[in-house]
Amino acid sequence: MSVEQLKDKSETDYNIEELAEELTNGPDWLTDQRRNSQKVFNDTPVPRRGLHLWRYTDPYQFLFNREKMTETEVSANHASVEKTAVSQFKENNTSCLAIDLSGREIKISGAENFQKDGLVVSSLSRAVTSHPELVEKYLYQLVGNKTGKFEAMNGALWHDGVFIYLPDGKQLEKPLHILHDAGRENSSSFPRVLIVVGKNSELTVIDEYSGGSTDSEKGISYSNGVVEIFGEQDSRTRYVFLQRQASAIKSYYTYRSQIERGASMLTIALSFGGALTKQNFGITLNGPGAESTIYGLLFGTDRQHFDNHTIHQHSAGQTRSDIKFKVVLRDKSVSAYTGLIRIEHDAKTCEAYQENRNLLLNKGTRAETIPELEILNEDVSCSHGATIGPIDPDMVFYLTSRGLSKSEAVRTIVSGFVADILKLLPDDLKQRISGFVEQRLENI
Amino acid sequence: MTERKPLFEFKNVHVKVDETEVVNGVSLKIYPGETHAIMGPNGSGKSSLANALMGNPSYTITKGEVYLDGENMLEMEPDKRSLAGLFLAFQYPLPIPGVTVANFLRSAVKARRAKDDDMSDFRKTLKAEMDGLSIDHPFAARYLNDGFSGGEKKRIEILQLAMLKPKMALLDETDSGLDIDALKIVAQGINRFHSDKNGILLITHYQRMLNYVKPDFVHVMMRGKFVKEGGPGLAMELEEKGYEWVEQETAQKVEV
Repeated sequence: MSVEQLKDKSETDYNIEELAEELTNGPDWLTDQRRNSQKVFNDTPVPRRGLHLWRYTDPYQFLFNREKMTETEVSANHASVEKTAVSQFKENNTSCLAIDLSGREIKISGAENFQKDGLVVSSLSRAVTSHPELVEKYLYQLVGNKTGKFEAMNGALWHDGVFIYLPDGKQLEKPLHILHDAGRENSSSFPRVLIVVGKNSELTVIDEYSGGSTDSEKGISYSNGVVEIFGEQDSRTRYVFLQRQASAIKSYYTYRSQIERGASMLTIALSFGGALTKQNFGITLNGPGAESTIYGLLFGTDRQHFDNHTIHQHSAGQTRSDIKFKVVLRDKSVSAYTGLIRIEHDAKTCEAYQENRNLLLNKGTRAETIPELEILNEDVSCSHGATIGPIDPDMVFYLTSRGLSKSEAVRTIVSGFVADILKLLPDDLKQRISGFVEQRLENI
Repeated sequence: MTERKPLFEFKNVHVKVDETEVVNGVSLKIYPGETHAIMGPNGSGKSSLANALMGNPSYTITKGEVYLDGENMLEMEPDKRSLAGLFLAFQYPLPIPGVTVANFLRSAVKARRAKDDDMSDFRKTLKAEMDGLSIDHPFAARYLNDGFSGGEKKRIEILQLAMLKPKMALLDETDSGLDIDALKIVAQGINRFHSDKNGILLITHYQRMLNYVKPDFVHVMMRGKFVKEGGPGLAMELEEKGYEWVEQETAQKVEV
């Protein structure tokens, strides 16, 4: 068999036509978007290794073999996830909970409290009929058919998603919580989230990704998600992305946000789970006075593989961006981080900062950091920095000289390393995340 | 009459850093209630000795013995030495970002107590000790040494001494970087800690500190050895004549 034939075979294996055919029950514009996405997916070759952003991760890992996808156990598992989530939601300081069961079913609790304010928390499939003009205006606008093969895959194959709309001039004090539960072994899901924060409005969203296969022997699961967030003029949005999936899931997520004049956006990206995770967080600063901050925290254990990108795109002048991306690795885990700052020719007097710090807790871990600056004018203030290394042995000595055991010293230093990110979180979430960190420091 | 036993004792200690011998055979006995001072010019091996005694893994004791209250320190990791009652106030305390002074001290105090021991007195004690060292209470919530001035770092070292109450305190250049007011406060803190049961070993370049913390014995260290020993008067003499004087004197001795 020639190389050409091999290539053809692999491309047809990943043909998604049959899957996409089920999804034609929306309005015409949506069906067109899906068909376009499907075409883009089929026409776009799998990215070549060694190409930009794919140097550290094999793209074929995110293309599943459709014949193996059984998805039989999905519903049984979902029922218990839903039950626990709803009972926790009642205790937590959350305004509204949206549970996304593998993208097949979206369940909303607590939205009734906010209907009078014009807030919409809904499944995307319902919103398409209840708020057609809004959904059509925003959906596919930030992550569309031109973004890439895998984004097009989601664009063609998402079943259902979550839609949040906060009209102008509203402040929602308590966070909104979205919980995505991926299917168990041999399943695929395509979560999709669309959030619109109106002018001078304020919103906090916790977007949590859980579930997936727990046993690679039985079969792995796949998740390919897209999040689009619009921050209109003078809006203030806090968005927490929490990835705490099971050990045998491969995930590809693309998050894009666009903020307008005077708007601020705080993105906190917390990554703990999955076997293989590629995440791409991009924010466009689209009007003067817009400010974006990204805090990333990633803790890898075992043989976990993470590949993250961030993009701060300064399309307007007088905008400010700041990134702190922190990575802790132990066992044989791997992380690659690529951070792009792009400042356009006409975007004068911008400030842009980027910092990536990697703490390697043992030999055998590996971290890569690739800062990328595309700055097309000189009237900017910009800095970037990166560190990769083990814990400073002098720090360990200092703490042990006060009676802390070596492992306690390491745990203390790592907790300190992540403290500035944890303190930005709402209290109940802070406790959970600090629990995840402690768990990963066991037997160190 | 029972024989008096030294609280802290090291014999013929040799220390290597990166294959270089920086301390070549020093010995000292400190009895309960005593204050000793090691004085010497920069690079004489004073700090290396202190670090090695505490168990800093970058400093290797290649030869010699170290005992605290009869326990062999060289068999212990730094944390065990600390729990046995040894303490080192660092010359350059490192910042530990994200770890507050209060939480750090709580862990250190807790390590000394039984697992289920009540820690409810901790905050009160901490506040009292902070007051004693003129440290504002909000400092407890700041990250350890992170952005602290030189003087603030030294005060926090002495706060740790006060909270941990070791048997034997090694104070490495605790006077450096302090203005006169801060020096007095820190010295008072050391004197409050000092009792007839514990011991102090001050390591310093200058005599200044010894006006406030009175040593019983002074040892002059040069090129990794103790070259001269004496009472408190020796410090004054050094201040007057400088280290060259000792250098000349010891050189003459060798000639004889």
